[in-house]
Amino acid sequence: MSVATQGERGVARIRSEWWRPALLSLLALLLVLATGEIVLDGAAGRSPLIPKSPAIAGWLQGIGERLGYRVFLIAILGFAVAYGAMLLLTRGAGARAITKRWAIVLIVALHAIVFAGPILISTDVFSYIAYARMGVEHGINPYLHGPVAISRDPIFQYVGHDWRHVATAYGPLYTLFSYPFAPLGAKGALWAMKIIAQLASAGTLVLIWRCARARDLDPVWAILAVGANPLYVIYGVGGAHNDLLMLLLMMVAVSLTLRGRDAAAGAVVVAGALVKATVAALLPFMILSRRRLAPILGALAAVAAGAVVAYAAFGVHGVDIVAALNRDAAFVSTDSFATEIAHLFGKPGVFPVDHDLLKASLVLIALHLMWRTWRGYDWIAASGWTLLAISVTSTWLLAWYILWPLPLAVLTRDRRLVLATLALQALFLLHQTSPLFAPVQ
Amino acid sequence: MSDARTSAERDRWRGLPEWMRPRPVELPGSGRLRLIETTLLVLLGLLLAVATVNDVVRQTHVNHRLIADLTTWRSYTGRPYHNLSIEQELFGPASQHEVICGNTSPGAPKAKTQLCLVIYGPISGGRRTVHGGWYLPAKVEDVRADRYGCFGAASRGMCPR
Repeated sequence: MSVATQGERGVARIRSEWWRPALLSLLALLLVLATGEIVLDGAAGRSPLIPKSPAIAGWLQGIGERLGYRVFLIAILGFAVAYGAMLLLTRGAGARAITKRWAIVLIVALHAIVFAGPILISTDVFSYIAYARMGVEHGINPYLHGPVAISRDPIFQYVGHDWRHVATAYGPLYTLFSYPFAPLGAKGALWAMKIIAQLASAGTLVLIWRCARARDLDPVWAILAVGANPLYVIYGVGGAHNDLLMLLLMMVAVSLTLRGRDAAAGAVVVAGALVKATVAALLPFMILSRRRLAPILGALAAVAAGAVVAYAAFGVHGVDIVAALNRDAAFVSTDSFATEIAHLFGKPGVFPVDHDLLKASLVLIALHLMWRTWRGYDWIAASGWTLLAISVTSTWLLAWYILWPLPLAVLTRDRRLVLATLALQALFLLHQTSPLFAPVQ
Repeated sequence: MSDARTSAERDRWRGLPEWMRPRPVELPGSGRLRLIETTLLVLLGLLLAVATVNDVVRQTHVNHRLIADLTTWRSYTGRPYHNLSIEQELFGPASQHEVICGNTSPGAPKAKTQLCLVIYGPISGGRRTVHGGWYLPAKVEDVRADRYGCFGAASRGMCPR
């Protein structure tokens, strides 16, 4: 075939795909509109989806109407469908379909809209602030007492009812990291948490870009798949969750490993686990894949340093992360797949024996993945599968937990992982839809 | 990975049988393991999808029942209040017996004397049947010690005296 013929075919293909950029722009507009609808209606207040909060989005009041379940669900489902279509249209199409600048503008717009609005869906951020204020303003160990110990503090009224008596389950590194924001007051600390969530998200996306390029994958598709994901934007960034900080450290570790800095990577995984323990799941796969002493030594050094700091700051309770994890592992949420399967088989819910079965399944899956990593399977994919398995087998499932495997899923050539992660997210959203069919008022 | 490192690593694991030795990358193989994994993933995905749809249908039925219960409480008391509390566990989660509590006069939730109704049975005309109930003082949760004025068959044994 001559070069001229190839060139003509290329031009013809580009001409025949004129609709692709137009459709992508329309889909992007849908994402922005859906996010705007949720944020503006959420700012109107009195919504069951917006937690009681210090007034940080008052300047948006009067534009939207009270955010009800129906509008929220239609907006988030529209967001999800547009996002799915966008990923399909851009997968493998590279720069023909979408430019780097276009993707960044869209992601920045979505983040900016969420930043301007109220805290969405979850009260967790108020727990983070309450634990920080317990330590800094009241001299109370947040690993020993729940926020009820500071019931006269201005932040207490915003902490979720279920968490008022619960001591922190977050890692000591995160608790210490949050301490400097405690003196800023409820409103100041809340803004600080929102800024941290934005910065952590930006850092995560930059590292995803770099890692995708290092692995010869499409970096534009990778950042779009994470940065424009409905659960990531609305639940993760919208709720200013500290999971974003954990994901940032996870991506730092992946990035360091790809650059051959194994000791530092091992240490950063441990640092991530001292923010939120889940990320420790990466460590065995990293070690099995590298088969060097460096990540083990790095991890051990970080564990030792972390234990000393945690003990100095919080005593023995700050070091005992396993006890906090065991306590949280006993929680059951209606959105967990375990509860759904129990209902399918006619049981009212999850029983203690089910917890044991789920833990055993998780161990088997992790062992199988470790064996495969030892025999050459991609350790990043294996880590992603493990994080996904943790979400599926957890009896306490929240939207932002299904985000954990996504940054890893977009960095592997095993397409099954990204498909499984997105399918699970779709099922999670589907499970929220019953108020659409029968709204209780 | 450099050739020198690959060679050194090969030497390190030479004592292991071939099937146990680590590899830098997977062998292409026959794809049998991948097929088994994919089949298991699809089956698990189907199970989760069926469980999710089943749960949405189940929750929708529960919501229909709750809508009927709230309508029943409002028509029984003649109060068009929206801040009502719903207890589904008192008679067992599978009993489909609900206890709906609300204020007897205007006020914030649980700020006034509350009337609780035990409601069950089929939905007819958008309502279900009230089989009994009790009163609660203001600002208390629905616990046996605080109940008084029990009435109807369903409330037998629910009040302290």
